[in-house]
Amino acid sequence: MPIERSVVSARIENASEYIGPLWPLQTFNAANPLVGFEDEPFDRAVQKAGKLLGGRGYPEPSIFRQAWERGEIDPEILTSRLAEHGITQRPEVLLKRMASDERNPVVDPSDAPLDRVVAKWLSAFLDQGQADWPMPNRSEGFYKAWRAVAPYDGDIPNVSRAADLPDTLLDAFDAVLSGYPEERWESIFVYHLAALPGWTGFIKWRARRANTAWQETYPITLADYLAVRLTLATRLKEAVAPERAKDLPADGTDRTFLPKIWLQAWEDSYRDRLLTDLSQVEASSDAEDDRPDAQLAFCIDVRSEVIRRHIEKQGHYETHGYAGFFGVPMQHHPYDSAVSVKSCPPIVDPKHRILDRPANGKQAQADDHDWWHELDDGRRSLIKTLKSNIAAAFGFVEGSGGFFGGAMAARTLLPSALFRLGKKVGDWIPGPMRFTEPTVDRPAPDEAAPKNGLPVGLTHEAKILYAEAAFRLLGWTDRFAPIVVFTGHGTQTPNNPYKSSLDCGACSGNPGGPNAKVLAHICNEDAVRDELRERGIDIPEDTVFLAGQHNTTTDGITLFVDDDNPPVPEERLDQLRQDLAAAQEGATAERVNTMNATVDTGRAQASVYETERRAADWAETRPEWGLAGNASFIIGPRRLTEDLDLDGRAFLHSYDWDKDEDGTALENIMTGPLVVGEWINTQYYFSTVDNAAYGSGSKVTHNVTGNLGIVQGNGGDLMTGLPLQSLQIDDEHPVHRPIRLLGVIQAPKTRVDAILDRHASLADLLDNEWILLTVMDPTEDNALYHYQPGRDWASHEVSVSPDPALANPLS
Amino acid sequence: MSDPSPHSDHTLHSVKKIEIIVRGEKESFVRDLLDDSQISGYTIHHNVTGRGEHGFHEGRLLFNDRDSLVMFLAVADEETIQSIVDGLTPLFEKSSGVMFVSDTSVVRLDKFISEGEEA
Repeated sequence: MPIERSVVSARIENASEYIGPLWPLQTFNAANPLVGFEDEPFDRAVQKAGKLLGGRGYPEPSIFRQAWERGEIDPEILTSRLAEHGITQRPEVLLKRMASDERNPVVDPSDAPLDRVVAKWLSAFLDQGQADWPMPNRSEGFYKAWRAVAPYDGDIPNVSRAADLPDTLLDAFDAVLSGYPEERWESIFVYHLAALPGWTGFIKWRARRANTAWQETYPITLADYLAVRLTLATRLKEAVAPERAKDLPADGTDRTFLPKIWLQAWEDSYRDRLLTDLSQVEASSDAEDDRPDAQLAFCIDVRSEVIRRHIEKQGHYETHGYAGFFGVPMQHHPYDSAVSVKSCPPIVDPKHRILDRPANGKQAQADDHDWWHELDDGRRSLIKTLKSNIAAAFGFVEGSGGFFGGAMAARTLLPSALFRLGKKVGDWIPGPMRFTEPTVDRPAPDEAAPKNGLPVGLTHEAKILYAEAAFRLLGWTDRFAPIVVFTGHGTQTPNNPYKSSLDCGACSGNPGGPNAKVLAHICNEDAVRDELRERGIDIPEDTVFLAGQHNTTTDGITLFVDDDNPPVPEERLDQLRQDLAAAQEGATAERVNTMNATVDTGRAQASVYETERRAADWAETRPEWGLAGNASFIIGPRRLTEDLDLDGRAFLHSYDWDKDEDGTALENIMTGPLVVGEWINTQYYFSTVDNAAYGSGSKVTHNVTGNLGIVQGNGGDLMTGLPLQSLQIDDEHPVHRPIRLLGVIQAPKTRVDAILDRHASLADLLDNEWILLTVMDPTEDNALYHYQPGRDWASHEVSVSPDPALANPLS
Repeated sequence: MSDPSPHSDHTLHSVKKIEIIVRGEKESFVRDLLDDSQISGYTIHHNVTGRGEHGFHEGRLLFNDRDSLVMFLAVADEETIQSIVDGLTPLFEKSSGVMFVSDTSVVRLDKFISEGEEA
């Protein structure tokens, strides 16, 4: 009986569950590499994934040793955790035992020739504009395109013409699978998908999520991949169904495993210290009465915690934390760009398309910009042509070597000077953020033709929805300052394929400034404010909403304000800018301490200069730490945390339980931002515990392929997670502490329970211990309860010394 | 089968109806399956709320389009519905979801079954 296409598709769909999607470099999304295993308890999942993908699930003993020596693992907690398993040896003895238990990694029987040939053709087919000589026939899909060129590949034996290979995709499956019963197919597919999880993860993203022009023009599916790979396996005489592909990876076992116990002790130690600090602060907090000079809403990103603390020190300022896409699910079309980018979290589909257009009265600046931009475009295009043209390349190198050599020397030796030059050039040639405004309103009907199915701009109802959602989720319904700034964030780092991993995770790896501009624009509209007033959110007439962007490399904050026509009094704006500059100095001084940097502390602004150097230095592998260190996600009012130094390790989402009687705001925070926090946390966790399997390895030996991903050396599988330099200060000392995300919510326990009742997927993440959760119940005098798998709560009992010891691992 | 009707052009024709409810992340798979089955059309309801074997799934979420349920509704002849069932049966071995197949009737048969397929 011929095989059914729909059955093959379903078996492939099931098999692909084990592979996490991989986004291209330009929109690097933090995601759990073990997302396909999240329906299992953490410990079993890492065992299963270890068997399939070969990665380790727990930190190496040396990482536990460093945490132990830094005092991050509380001896009492560790002893009692060990005692629960009947283990009484001293921690030092156990650390030695864990180290000796480590075996050399078992190298699986290699599929090297098969992997090599498949990876070669995948990189040729999937190329997204990097190749000067692209693979032919790509528009016919991967299987057909490969079939046409395979006869010319010397690595594939016994194929002299295309007719030697199965005619269609289905014929290919028929030829390979006919000897196996249907129940074997899935395990065969799993084995071959897991052989190259980077490439297959990317195909999964491109085929299922992306709808990109590349996929529309050059379609590829996992079925194409498997058809090519299985056909090649038979030609290369490699096993279609090797012994290890006989079954799907079996469940792990419940086990007494030292690393598991140590990890829990480390997590409990962090939790108990944090809760001790939070409890003390809450007792001494006062109610706020007078009106602040300004309020700034930042992304919940852990990097915001540092700058917020330093801004609050400068004067009568308040800060809030909200998901950095500011609740606007949009696709953004930047001014100079040929393409639109998704600017909302990976779990949200964009609903609107926002374009940047020159603002009224700014056409002259736009023209200046366009002139320079076109000149620069022409220069780039000319250089690319000269470099890649066989005839011109030699002469080009001869002729331009001196100039490029000089530029290279300047970039290498004088990065700080280049940063300042860049700033000056920015003053002469206006950047688009200075003269554009977003198309927040729906355009006239003749312009409003939806592209990619998304309407341009927002309806009045949508504006009200997003503005109200923002203030309700934050519990911010009164006390508006004269100036309110929505502050997105973005990184600044040249020559860095991982730039996107340092941008805003809530904006799918893009800067959040454009979203901040949209929400500020909405909130300044009278019609919106009138409607909000009727709904109990009373924004005073003199309140002006501004947008800004936090540069997370330098901690500088740019306000998107038209200085020729400022919407707030100039002296207030000047004061705010001065205070932001002072906050930048404080925040960078704190951060450079963690960067192994030599800074002349006697020199004013030394730390700012050091971060500016990192922002301009093309050889800098550690421009900033991104979200390294992330450990907790605190949902509650700022007064709960404002007196604490959380060391840039906490996501802070503002929330006021007292203003959310039906729990809708909390429900949206827990099902949205908290879940994204878990994606980020697990990516940092697994990239740290096994940088080769779940991370990207060292930046020193990586190469960009196909304008979409990274390979180590000159080929092989795509690397999937974060590079070593984003996680470690050197080869041995991680800056990121691999512990699971701790959610802390100040809300009635019954409210959290009711939300978990309605959201099985969220409850699964907690039951399977992918997120740990503590509730601080304000209706019970802030009693603390820890979530227990199986929908249970345990009272908080342990108290530890409030010694976070959270600083630089080198100290 | 045709039911008698006072309006001769309002004759009812028997066809099969399939209702499919899956997690949001499986929407693309089911869409592809329906497209490949040569079905003439289908309806999708997003943000569906309900309880299943794995617990309750609340539909209306502001910041999560992945975890809510999606419901498909399609009508076709028995053979086409069977090919869809063949594709969904293995899927439901691993993913949560349900499908219901029932008898129903339509007036304009040509909208649901292309010419030449009609039994």
